Amino acid sequence: MKTFASIILFALATAATAQPSADEIIDRVDRNMSSENRIFESTMTIQGKRGTRVITSKSYTAGDKKSFTEYLSPPREQGIKMLKLEDQLWIYSPSTDRTIQISGHMLRQSVMGSDLSYEDMMEDRKLTDLYSARVTGRETIDGRETWVLELNARVEDIAYSKRKIWIDTERYVPLKEELYARSGQLLKRSTMSDVIRVDGRWFPTTVVYKDMLKQGDGTEFKVTAIKFNQAIPDYIFSKAALKQ
Amino acid sequence: MKLAIKLAFKNLIGAGLRTWLNVIVLSFSFVMIIAAKGILVGWDRQAKKDMADWEIAGGQYWNANYDPYDAFTLTEAHSVIPGQFKDEIERGDMVPVLITQGTIYPEGRMQSILIKGIDPGQSLLELPTGRLDTAAGALPAIIGSNMARANRLSKGDYVTIRWRDANGTFDAAEILITDIFTTNVPTVDVGQVWIALDSLQSMVLMPGEATILTFRDQENREAGVGDWKLMTYKSLVSEVDEMIKTKSVGQSIFYIILLILALLAIFDTQVLSIFRRQKEIGTYVALGYTRKEVVLLFTVEGAMHAVLAAVTGAIYGIPLLVWLANKGISLGMSSAEFGFTMADTMYPVYSGSLIIGTTLLVMIATTIVSYWPSRRIAKMNPTEALRGKLQ
Amino acid sequence: MIKFLIKGLLRDRSRSLLPLIVVAIGVMLAVFMRGYINGIMVDMIEQTARFNTGHVKVMTKAYAENIDQIPNDLAIMGASELQAGLEEAFPDIKWVSRIKFGGLIDVPDDNGETRSQGPSLGIGLDLFSGSSGEIERLNLSRSLVRGTIPDTAGEILLSEEFSEKLKVSPGEEVTLIGSTMNGSMAIYNFIVSGTVRFGNTSLDRGSVIADISDVQKALDMYDSAGEILGFFPGGYYSDEKADPVMAEFNEDFVTENDEFSPVMLRLRDQEGLGLFVNLAGSMGAIVTFVFMVAMSLVLWNAGLLGGLRRYGEIGIRLAIGEEKGHVYRSMITESLMIGMAGTIIGTAFGLSLSWLLQTYGLDISEFTKNATTGIMMPNIVRARITPPDFYIGFIPGVISTVAGTMLSGIGIYKRKTSQLFKELEA
Repeated sequence: MKTFASIILFALATAATAQPSADEIIDRVDRNMSSENRIFESTMTIQGKRGTRVITSKSYTAGDKKSFTEYLSPPREQGIKMLKLEDQLWIYSPSTDRTIQISGHMLRQSVMGSDLSYEDMMEDRKLTDLYSARVTGRETIDGRETWVLELNARVEDIAYSKRKIWIDTERYVPLKEELYARSGQLLKRSTMSDVIRVDGRWFPTTVVYKDMLKQGDGTEFKVTAIKFNQAIPDYIFSKAALKQ
Repeated sequence: MKLAIKLAFKNLIGAGLRTWLNVIVLSFSFVMIIAAKGILVGWDRQAKKDMADWEIAGGQYWNANYDPYDAFTLTEAHSVIPGQFKDEIERGDMVPVLITQGTIYPEGRMQSILIKGIDPGQSLLELPTGRLDTAAGALPAIIGSNMARANRLSKGDYVTIRWRDANGTFDAAEILITDIFTTNVPTVDVGQVWIALDSLQSMVLMPGEATILTFRDQENREAGVGDWKLMTYKSLVSEVDEMIKTKSVGQSIFYIILLILALLAIFDTQVLSIFRRQKEIGTYVALGYTRKEVVLLFTVEGAMHAVLAAVTGAIYGIPLLVWLANKGISLGMSSAEFGFTMADTMYPVYSGSLIIGTTLLVMIATTIVSYWPSRRIAKMNPTEALRGKLQ
Repeated sequence: MIKFLIKGLLRDRSRSLLPLIVVAIGVMLAVFMRGYINGIMVDMIEQTARFNTGHVKVMTKAYAENIDQIPNDLAIMGASELQAGLEEAFPDIKWVSRIKFGGLIDVPDDNGETRSQGPSLGIGLDLFSGSSGEIERLNLSRSLVRGTIPDTAGEILLSEEFSEKLKVSPGEEVTLIGSTMNGSMAIYNFIVSGTVRFGNTSLDRGSVIADISDVQKALDMYDSAGEILGFFPGGYYSDEKADPVMAEFNEDFVTENDEFSPVMLRLRDQEGLGLFVNLAGSMGAIVTFVFMVAMSLVLWNAGLLGGLRRYGEIGIRLAIGEEKGHVYRSMITESLMIGMAGTIIGTAFGLSLSWLLQTYGLDISEFTKNATTGIMMPNIVRARITPPDFYIGFIPGVISTVAGTMLSGIGIYKRKTSQLFKELEA
C-alpha cells in the first residue's frame, strides 16, 4: 500500500514538473555542497539568558570524515582545537595542555553552549545511506521554490528517525531542515539563508539551529569566509596538530 | 528476704513525700527512656516499612551493571528477565522495573530525569500504578509530589519527555500526569517519571527487559541469576540502620543524664537514711541480724524506689506512651530534602525487650546506688549505733 | 543575722556542704542538659545550614527558582561587591560565597590522554583567605582521608571513594571538564591535594571541593558566585535574627522585576526546613520542661533531707529557748543562701561544660561503630548555649530547695518542747 501510494505520488510529481527523484536531488545537493576539502571561517552566535555570545572559529575539512577546528575568539575560547577523525572526536585546550577525547555521554553535551550537540556535529554518513528519501511536495520559502523531502531512517543506529529537508529547486541548497523523533515529535529545526555563490557552487552562509523542546532563540552559525579545494597539509588532521 | 522486702516497703511508704519525690523522678527516667527509644525504633521500622512498601519489598535483583548513583550506567544496565522468574512475575510476587535516562521539558526548561517502567497491574509496591492504565491521548504517567513541586507539574498536565532507544535514536512523547503520589521514599519520587513497563520497553526497543526485579519473598534466593545480582533487604536498608545508630548515641546521653539525676536523689536519700537511722541499725544488729543482712535491708529499701517508680511510671506512662504510639509524632517535613526515607509522622514502637531492658537497667543502677552508702553500715560499731552516736 | 547564718554555714560543713553540692550538681546537670538538648535538636538543621542553606542565603531570583539544576548561568555577577555590601550592612553575619557545579573529572595518562573519568558534583568554597571559616564549618580537616586541604591555587579535594574509582592519588593531576557560566566548555587542571569522606553515599560517589577562586577561573565565573551564604554569630539559626536581616535586605538590595536581582532566603524558607525549625523548638521545650520538673523534684527532696538532717540541732535550739518562728525563718534564709550559691556554682559549671561541648564538640564516632566521620556526618555532638541557660537553673536551684526546706521545717512547729530532752538524751 505504502509503495503504491508513493508510486502514485511520484507519478504525479513527475507529471507536474518532470522533477528528479529524491535520491537524485540529494545527490545534486551533495555535489553542490561537498568538495574535496574546504576551509572556512565562521561565527557562532549563542543566545544566552544574559545576552548573546559570539564565537569565531576557523575550520578545515577534507571529505566527510576529517575536520579540524580552531577557535579564534573570544579570548577564553581562543586556541581551543577540535579534531574529528571518522567517529572520534578530540578537544585540545591550550590552558591545560590536555587532549580530551569526547566519547559516550559527553557527545550528547551541547557544543559551546549552543543548541548543537557534539553528536549532531559528528554525523558524517551520507544521508542517502541512512535514509530512504522521497519528495512529498513543493513549498516556497522566502520567495524560493523548494522541494520538500521526507527522509525515513533505514538503518537502526541513528539519532533521528525522520528528517524533512526543504531544497531549493534551482540552486540545490537546503533552506530548511527538521529533525523528528521516532514518535513524530519535532525535535530540532535548522533554517539556512544568505545563499551565496562561491567557485560555481551555491552555499548557504547562515544557519540557525534551534532545539524545539527548549526555550530560547537558538544558535546562529554564519560562515564569514569560505574557500573550496585548497591544499590542506595532511598533518592538520592528526592529534599532533592539536598541540601546536 | 521476704521480711526484708516487707520492711523495706513499709519504711519507704512511711517516709512519705520524700519517697514519692524520688519515685516520680525515677519514673520519669523510665518513661523517657522507653519513649525516646521507642521513637527511634518506630522511626527505624517506619522508614524500613516505607522503603519496603514503596521500593524494595522483600529484596531485589539488580542488573549487574546497575548503579543507582550513576545514571550513565543505565544504558548498559538492562537485560532480559530470566525465564525462571516467569511464574513469580505472573503471580504478582515479582515486579520488574526498567529504567532509562531521559529529559523532561516542563515549560521549555530542560531537566534530566529517569524514566521508569512498571507493570500497571502490580500490587507489590504502593505506587498507584493502576493510574498508568488510563486510556488517554498521551502516555499516562505518575510522579511523586516532590517531582511535581520541583517541576511545577500538576495532575492533568501534559509535558514532553525525550529519551533515546536502544539504538540511540531520539524519541519524544507527551506524557499526561494521571496521578501524583505522596511518599516518604525520595528514591521513587525525586527526578523520575513512572510509566507502564510495556510502553517503556517498546519505546526504548528493549522488549522483555528490565533493570531491577523487586520480589516479595526473600527465602531461598540465589546470590546471582545470570547477570542479575541479589540485593538483600538488609543491604538495601543499611543506610537507615546507620542513621538510627548515630541518632541513638546522641539520644542516650540525654537519658543517661536524666537517670544520673534520679540516682543522685536516691543516693542522697540513702546517705541520710543511714545517718539518721543508726539506732534502727543498732537495733537490727542487736536482734541478731548479721551486718550483711542489714546492708541488704537498706539496699533493698533503696532499690525498691525502682519498683515503685516502675509502678508509678506505668500508671501515667502507659496511657501516655499508648497515646503517642497511636497518634504519632508529626514532623511535618519532607523526606526528599534529606535524601533518605523518613516518615513525616513517627509512631513509637515499644518492644518487650525494650521495656524489660529499661526496667532492668534502672533497677540495677538504683540497686548499686542504694548499696554504695549502705556499705558504711558494715563498718559501724553496733553498740554505738544502738545509742545513736554519730560515727 | 545573715552574717551569723553565713558563718554557721561556713563552719558547719554538714549543714552546708552536702546540700550545696547536691544543688550545684543538680543545677549543673539541668543547665548542661538544656544546652545539650538544644544542641542536638538544632544539629540536623545546622548541618543543612553549613553544607547547603546557610542561615540566610542570597542568590539571584532566577537562580533561586531553578536551584535544582545548579544554574550557574544565572549566578550572581559582581559577587565580591555584593558580599562587601552585605558585610557592611550586616557586619555581625559571616558572609561566604560559594559555587556549586557539575562536571567530569578526567584523569590523564602519561601522554595526557584520558585514563579514567567520572561525573562529579563540586563545590567552590573560600578555602584560602583563612578568614571564611569554611574549613571548620564543613568539618574538612576531620573528614580528610588522605593528603591535605588545598592551600594553593589549582588544588582540589576529591571524595575518597571517587578517587579510588578513578585510581588517582593526592599529588596527581586531574582535569575538570565542565561548562562555563556561558555554557562553553570549561577545561581546567587541578592537582589532587587530598581526599575526604562525606558520609553520604551519593556525595561520596563523586564529589570535589576546590577553592572558589579556582572554580571561578575554571568556569569563567570571574567575580561571580552561585550563592552567598550568611551565618549568624554564635552559629545558630533563629527567626528572630533572620527576619530583621531579611527585611533590611529586601529594602536595600532587591530590585523589583529584575530576574537577576539578588533575593534572600532564610534557612526556614529553604528545603522544607521551616517545619523542622518549629519542631526543634517545641521538642527542645518539652524536653527542657520534663527535665526541669525532674530537677525541681530532686532539689525539693534535697531540701527536705537538708531539714531532716538537722533534726537534732533544731531540737537543741528549741530546747534552749529559741523561738520556733525564728528557727524556721533562719532555716529558710539558709536554704535560700545555699540555693543561690549552689545555683550560681551549678550554672557556672553547667555553662562551662556546655561551652566546652559547644566549642569543641564530642566525637561520638567511637560509639557508632560503622558510621565514619564525614562532612555530612560530623559525628560530633555539640551543645548550644541560649540566654535562658543563664537563669533557668534558679527555678529548681532556689525555689525547689527553699520549698523543700519550708515543708520539712513545718515539722518544727509540730515538735513539743517537752519531748525535746527525751530526744536529745538518745
